Amino acid sequence: MLLGTLIYGFVNSCLLALLAMGFNLTFGISGVANFAYGAIYIFSGFTAWIFLNSIGLPYALCVISAISLSAGLGVLIYHVVIKRVKGLALSEVMATFGLGLAIMELFRYFDFVGFKYTLPNLIEGSVAIGDVYIDYQRITVILAAIALTGFIYVFTHHTRTGLAFRAIAQDERTALTFGIDSDRTAALSMGFGSALAAVAAVVVLPLGTIAVEGGYDVLLNALAVCIVGGLGSTVGILVASVLIGYAQTLTANYLEPHWMMLVSLIAIAIVLCIKPSGIFGHQKELEERI
Amino acid sequence: MKKRKERIDRGIKVRSEDVFALTSYREMLYLLAPRALPVAGLLLFLPLSSPYWREIFISTAIYALLAISWDVLVSVGLISLGQSLFYGVGSYVAGALNHYWGLPPVLTLPIATIGGAAICTVALLPVLRLRGIYFSMVTLVLPLMMLRLVEATRIFGGTEGLTGLSPFPGQLTEMYLANACLLIALFGFRRLMDSDYGLIVRGISDNDRAVMNAGLNIHWYKTQILFLGAAVGCFAGAFGTHHDMFAGMPGFALDYSIMPIAAAIVGGTGTFAGSVLGAFILVPLSEILRALGALRIVFYGLFLVIFVVGIPEGLFHYIRRKYHQFERWVEVE
Amino acid sequence: MSKQALKLLSIAFFLTLLPGFYSVSHSKEPIVLGVPTSLGFLEGKEGLACVNLAVDEINAAGGVNVAGTMRPFKVVAIDSRGAEPGVPVAEVIKAHKKLILEDGAKFIVFGSFRSEAAIACMDLVSQFKIPMLLGTAMSPEMQKKVTEDYDRYKHTFRVCLNAVYLIKYLGGTMAYLNKKFGFNKVFIMDQDVAWARKTGDLMISMVFEKMGWQVVGRQTYPTGASDFSSGLMKAKAGGAQVILPIFDMPQSGILVKQWNAMKVPALVAGFISPLAGPAAWKTFDEKIDGAINAIFEIGNVPVKKVPKSAEFFDKYEKRYGKPIEAGHSPAPAYEMVYLLKEAIERARTVDGDAVVTELEKTDRQGAMGRIRFGKDHQVVYGEDPAETAMGCMIQWRQGKRVVVYPESVAEGEIALPEGLKAVK
Repeated sequence: MLLGTLIYGFVNSCLLALLAMGFNLTFGISGVANFAYGAIYIFSGFTAWIFLNSIGLPYALCVISAISLSAGLGVLIYHVVIKRVKGLALSEVMATFGLGLAIMELFRYFDFVGFKYTLPNLIEGSVAIGDVYIDYQRITVILAAIALTGFIYVFTHHTRTGLAFRAIAQDERTALTFGIDSDRTAALSMGFGSALAAVAAVVVLPLGTIAVEGGYDVLLNALAVCIVGGLGSTVGILVASVLIGYAQTLTANYLEPHWMMLVSLIAIAIVLCIKPSGIFGHQKELEERI
Repeated sequence: MKKRKERIDRGIKVRSEDVFALTSYREMLYLLAPRALPVAGLLLFLPLSSPYWREIFISTAIYALLAISWDVLVSVGLISLGQSLFYGVGSYVAGALNHYWGLPPVLTLPIATIGGAAICTVALLPVLRLRGIYFSMVTLVLPLMMLRLVEATRIFGGTEGLTGLSPFPGQLTEMYLANACLLIALFGFRRLMDSDYGLIVRGISDNDRAVMNAGLNIHWYKTQILFLGAAVGCFAGAFGTHHDMFAGMPGFALDYSIMPIAAAIVGGTGTFAGSVLGAFILVPLSEILRALGALRIVFYGLFLVIFVVGIPEGLFHYIRRKYHQFERWVEVE
Repeated sequence: MSKQALKLLSIAFFLTLLPGFYSVSHSKEPIVLGVPTSLGFLEGKEGLACVNLAVDEINAAGGVNVAGTMRPFKVVAIDSRGAEPGVPVAEVIKAHKKLILEDGAKFIVFGSFRSEAAIACMDLVSQFKIPMLLGTAMSPEMQKKVTEDYDRYKHTFRVCLNAVYLIKYLGGTMAYLNKKFGFNKVFIMDQDVAWARKTGDLMISMVFEKMGWQVVGRQTYPTGASDFSSGLMKAKAGGAQVILPIFDMPQSGILVKQWNAMKVPALVAGFISPLAGPAAWKTFDEKIDGAINAIFEIGNVPVKKVPKSAEFFDKYEKRYGKPIEAGHSPAPAYEMVYLLKEAIERARTVDGDAVVTELEKTDRQGAMGRIRFGKDHQVVYGEDPAETAMGCMIQWRQGKRVVVYPESVAEGEIALPEGLKAVK
């Protein structure tokens, strides 16, 4: 029982980190509000499903095309919507949220509702650790989360593009004087974030069904992890994921599952009251409170 | 005889704002028309429409009140993402009073407005010092937390909620009540923001530290504004509860948070009239789109995007600008 | 003011007046049936399809005989979003008001999905004196309200199964398992919505405590949850022989898949909505072999010993080209239109109160068995299709649904999954 809690808590943590990664890249690191994130996540799930079941491509190809299509969608959203209201934070949020709503409900309209919308596991089967069974898909989630975190960390700290992502959020004008095209960088960041959402979708969705409502949950979970961890901090995301992930699994196992959401929400509220910019946030004290 | 174009508003602006001496009925009409026409429309035309559209008007008024409440908070620099907290608290206070003690709406409405506002103010007091996005995040989380709390502890009827609450005596009474409250809130707050008090409030939103330097206790002002905004929101909640004869968890639903913000952004923030205008566009729009069935929310989302991207300043600001730019031909002397 | 402006103004004035005038009724006019449900959900979609099926049959046969004039039925469906968690009940109420005030619905058929929404709407229909036949909501709270305040709530009826009858079927299955295999340890997993929670509560107090079963544990999941591993682990650790799931959300099918992947040695017997339809076998990669699932009303699955149920099932497949997938609601949705037709013909009017009186006298042999309302406006369910309406339990076996309970209509015996042995 304890071993099971530990293992499944870890899986849950990795899952949260995976979901939050793309959102963190666009919203946290580059300061572009992408509240259509959940919709993009669902979009990539359904695209992969369509390619697999309606066209019949091999699964690897489906995954690749879903990821690239999502990235394209992200760039498109930036150029068509966000660019026009850039700087008006609330308008950015509202416009992308509205767009996300439209995308998700469009899937509902085209009848993407039901139990048949599931993606296949990458590898079938399960393995026993002690007396706890864990399927290979969950192990894939863990591996993907670790790999992506490492990749994002190196990318945002040691490559030109990655540094540019952070630069436009820190000071757009100074970034411009250094020759960083802020529009191009932000669009790229949107694309990158969306691709990460697609990766998360392909890895996580085989655990359940692809459902439109899932999009809202993904956005909420990503937001929660980013707030607790501190916007823009990759290490913060990891710590927050582990915190919330274990908190949820522990409450689910030793209390009752419907306290699960409450625990993460209370965690968010407490973190916001005590350290508003998150555990690993870099904001200055005077900008947080007065 | 030569003619040239002249802006109508220039002269009127000078005369009405500084010396306060309007010279003709025309000038008075120019100033009065944009205010009086919507009011007249609300009071006279609505009773003539069908019962169904009256229903829609009532829910529009509820969302408009929530949007005003949002705008009130914004005027002091607090951006709330959780208007449903106010709606839900107001709704539960009124619902519980009516359900457990059988108080009539005449009593529950004022008690829920004042009491609910007090509860919300106390709940948000610890985070009132937070600025910008951090305050917004807390407000986003709070209603969700309340929702889960009711779900987990099963107080106030749990997921089933409180049903069978007393309705208002009649549709027309209900409608005029909603109307009157909406107009009072709209013009009352516009007036307030034009006063010296409003000057301080807007000052806090522009530069809080400068206001502090003037020796004013900005936290006390923020608390007052929070109370006022919460009161409007709680009233909307209490009103909606008696309208639906139901109080329950859906009062904390995301819809009540998003719709008012969307209304305020579509209409234009900072004027209250913009929020009301936005609500009067979005709520009926969502009803008309119902005919599209499942496509409804798709179109709704797209309209939202088009409004926000197309008129980022807000519809009200846009119309006001155009109204002030009206010109007339005058002879060159 | 110019003449043109005056003209425009008067037209605008006229237009605002217009909506008030068209509520004139006419006797040859169709009788409007309002269908407010969640059209995006399987139960809602198939329920509406069944309402349409019945209405088309009736209209093709000439319509409804209202005191000599033949009037057709007309269906106005509206997406009430009543099934989504967290949607304002106000939204559902608004949908009902639109049907009644704008579309002139005389009857609400197959109403409002979740019990939370349905119960809130009872006040509304009594305000307008519109009879409402509930289709999906299952909480017994509705009957309590009808019994306690008959004059106020008499307009509400329920044709589908309710939680109490579901318990009778599930309890019967448990007793059968106990008798046959000697099982007496159960783990309960339910969804956090009114009907499921109540069903779970009542299963414990009315069935397991009385029969001396040991409830190893119970977990309640919020709607939308899709990871059931913690519960399954608990069940396994506690040595449960039976897992009793009570769910109506799409994600819940994963529970059985996870049960299969984690190799939990217990029989899954309960209700999981995605497991009810014939497509489930393919959807869950053939990993549901051995799961026992409740079918709330027969007709949603063809039962050989009740010919009308098979007839209805085939009619649906013929009309829409695919079989019924939902285990809850399609058959009642079809039947309630006929109940209404018969009640209107007996009442010789479409007046709400008169139809309510006639609906109470309903006695009809239909796809669900014999349909009669109790004093609490709930259709009576039982185990004999000649006497009452009924539901049944099926077991998935090599891609086929085999009816295993009640014994009066059973077509096969319960088979145990690998790794689980009878105690007796």
